[in-house]
Amino acid sequence: MLAALVRRESYGYELAQSLDAAGLGPIRGGTLYPVLLRLQRTGMVTAQWREGEAGPARKYYRITESGGEVLRRTAADWESFAGGVSAILREVAAR
Amino acid sequence: MNDATNDVREHAGEHDAWLAALDGELRRRGIEPGLARHVVAEAAAHLRDSRQPPLAAFGRPDVYAAAVADSVGEPVSGARRPPPGPVRLEARGIVKRYRRRPVLAGVDLTVRAGQIAAIVGANGCGKSTLLRICAGMVSPDRGRVHVHGTLGYCPQDGGTSEFLVPDEHFVLVGAGRGMGRAAAVGAGRAHAAALDWNPAGAGQARLLSGGTRQKLNLVMAGLGDPDVLLLDEPYQGFDRGAYVDFWHQLWRWRDAGKAIVVVTHLLDRLDRVDTVLDLTPVPEPEIRA
Repeated sequence: MLAALVRRESYGYELAQSLDAAGLGPIRGGTLYPVLLRLQRTGMVTAQWREGEAGPARKYYRITESGGEVLRRTAADWESFAGGVSAILREVAAR
Repeated sequence: MNDATNDVREHAGEHDAWLAALDGELRRRGIEPGLARHVVAEAAAHLRDSRQPPLAAFGRPDVYAAAVADSVGEPVSGARRPPPGPVRLEARGIVKRYRRRPVLAGVDLTVRAGQIAAIVGANGCGKSTLLRICAGMVSPDRGRVHVHGTLGYCPQDGGTSEFLVPDEHFVLVGAGRGMGRAAAVGAGRAHAAALDWNPAGAGQARLLSGGTRQKLNLVMAGLGDPDVLLLDEPYQGFDRGAYVDFWHQLWRWRDAGKAIVVVTHLLDRLDRVDTVLDLTPVPEPEIRA
């Protein structure tokens, strides 16, 4: 979710669509917004209601500095974890 | 064209009903009204954008409201609470035996105005007995109870009159507490509304479900604004929503300066009460603050 917000600020439905497009599968609103609320409460994102270009008002989320910090740390952790898993699986494939 | 319009209208009705239910569930969970408005508006925007039916996108309103409440944490109602007032209920050294078996062995309990005390403990450890002693319905073998003010008592079951309708219960109990007919019925119906119950057209008490009879009991206990409320597991038969309403009613009473004693075996709310008295038999009965 944070990674999807790094590119630009976005609203809930748009976030769900871009995560779906990235191959994470459809995410229900009932799952999405509680996560966003938690991120907002812990200061990872800020939110602001704004009129869209054409449509009605939507709640736009923007990643904060501490959200970016958490994202960098998570990315590094994931990198080393995925690296380890890949190495093991490469051995399997090589056999 | 016509079909499409009808389709949109039908969806709008379904959305509105679901959003209204969500709004109610959020408030019932004590979500601050400003935040509740935002959550509802955001869900409305999502439904509009995704064109999904609400149940597919969000699930049941009460379940979604619970997820929202979990995400924002409990309301911080304790922040601006005034300090507790004068002592309303004081039980000292209460001893009670049944046959030769000691049930209560020197129990102390003090509750001040604006406090909730929870009595917990295993089955048969004397929770209800202690409450009946506090209510003056049973005499202790030793010890004293002082009540400063008026008293309302809600039993675990019974307490209703089979052949009277709810309004007649209100009038009867109200009369005992110096209230006129109209005032008693008005207050009873208002308290019932806070528990999401409309007793106006309800039939005789014997026809009510167990949960609704307990709502009636609870409303009767609060009639006439007693200073001390003694509640003996009053939520038996309540569904989850009514159970949440019950605790909010408790907190409203507390904020209004009532002294409340509630017998409970459900431990999930103990962080929100002021005193916990655990009657589970141990070498020394103790009070934890």
